[in-house]
Amino acid sequence: MTNDISTGAASAPATTTTDAKPTSTFALKAGLAQMLKGGVIMDVINPEQARIAEDAGACAVMALERVPADIRAQGGVARMSDPNIIKDIQAAVTIPVMAKARIGHDVECQILEALGVDYIDESEVLTPADDESHVEKSVFSVPFVCGCRDLGEALRRIAEGAAMIRTKGEAGTGDVVEAVRHIKTVNRQIAQAKAALAEGGVVRVRELARKLEVDAELLRQTAELGRLPVVNFAAGGVATPADAAFMMQLGCDGVFVGSGIFKSGDPAKRAKAIVQAVTHYKDAKVLAECSTGLGEAMVGINCDGLRGEEKLARRGW
Amino acid sequence: MTVTITVGVLALQGGFHEHLTLLRRAVSQLATTKFELVEVRTSQQLAQCDALIIPGGESTTMSLVAGQTDLLEKLRDFVKVQKKPTWGTCAGLIMLSNAANSTKVGGQELIGGLSVRVHRNHFGRQIESFEANLDLPFLSETTDRSPFHAVFIRAPVVEEVLAPQAVQVLAKLPGRVDRMKTGVSQATTKGDSGDIVAVREGNVLGMSFHPELTADARIHVWWLSELLKGGAS
Repeated sequence: MTNDISTGAASAPATTTTDAKPTSTFALKAGLAQMLKGGVIMDVINPEQARIAEDAGACAVMALERVPADIRAQGGVARMSDPNIIKDIQAAVTIPVMAKARIGHDVECQILEALGVDYIDESEVLTPADDESHVEKSVFSVPFVCGCRDLGEALRRIAEGAAMIRTKGEAGTGDVVEAVRHIKTVNRQIAQAKAALAEGGVVRVRELARKLEVDAELLRQTAELGRLPVVNFAAGGVATPADAAFMMQLGCDGVFVGSGIFKSGDPAKRAKAIVQAVTHYKDAKVLAECSTGLGEAMVGINCDGLRGEEKLARRGW
Repeated sequence: MTVTITVGVLALQGGFHEHLTLLRRAVSQLATTKFELVEVRTSQQLAQCDALIIPGGESTTMSLVAGQTDLLEKLRDFVKVQKKPTWGTCAGLIMLSNAANSTKVGGQELIGGLSVRVHRNHFGRQIESFEANLDLPFLSETTDRSPFHAVFIRAPVVEEVLAPQAVQVLAKLPGRVDRMKTGVSQATTKGDSGDIVAVREGNVLGMSFHPELTADARIHVWWLSELLKGGAS
């Protein structure tokens, strides 16, 4: 297991730019993510859903206009939510409220920060606004979470100031295969970095950094810790308690559930079950119990059936 | 005769790995073999423990998960009936308080043990989270008496001590609320004496900040030393 982040996140990664001065330190940004570990963050589209999520034990909610399954079905341009939805949800619950901004869209992030959201997800689920640059996140006081498919993407986002990482998975499908692929890829590449450091020291780490297109110092830090220097959640396609526990067993620190809860037959029951499954992810007896009688899971889309351009995970780099 | 003291960290959600890391460091600093450290997710695991840490995290999540089994009742028994030493940080402080304000709609289940009322998310949302150097007088017994770098994340404070004769205030944060931008703080009480951020009632200890988010093991060393003195009960 790689869940022990130790004190690695307490200091800012070496490459964070320091031109602008956010009022919040990197330790505070990464620290909130550390307090979310072992928890489930649920997508909600109104205060009623937010309360159901909080009552089920969610450690945070993601305030959205539409869940990924609907974004996928309806098509068109997906943008930041109407501030009213976010404010209503903030007023409804006491747990942290996150919200999504489009990749590269500085102003959506500025607005979300002004609304006082607790975390911004610069998300490939929304339509990207800039095809060259992700948001420079280190200048914000509000912390950011970003998706990744591999270690390269993860470390590039951390270099930009992300204080939390998640797998991209394939949102809105209910098919966990892509999220599994992404966490396994990250784990495999961290093992490579560890081996490079052990065999050839910083010279070999630099070689690997060039290959992965990441900052060498950040890669060295990762190799030394044996894990990402920030909290890493699972996201994209988690639909059942078993999916959630599987992602935890693969080394994720916690789980985002998008469409999986409120597109299912009995959201309250399923939400509770997934929260239980994340706490007791190593206890098959508990997992058997909480997987029982949950009603219908969300209708899934098999990721193999998606054409390349239909895959949201391909957005960003 | 060596008696082992089993120290548990409640591992339902939140910063339990961080506490275990600092506990391990503290144990090695104390150069003792007396401690065994365990993660606690079930009442069976709790039953093995002589002392417990409740970490930072989301208190609503922890109480709901604990309430799904008999663990919540067993935790109340552990703290209030068996009176075993328990230390809570942030969410842990909330769980150990007898009363809490600004809870979720419908309220929230607590363990209790500290005769205080806490105010959740006292300073506001995440962008109001902060770090501050705190003077912790109880660390005076240790060698390094420099201020403790305290990390406050969506932190609660003790807004009222309900039994002043039983509760000892260990630390206050001076002047913080008054410096806040108007309209941001959810503080309902203001006082020039500062916010109460660490309290103790018997062997129950609560802090509104996160020692587990620093590399400073002094509080853990102090707490383990207290356990050694008290023979674990």
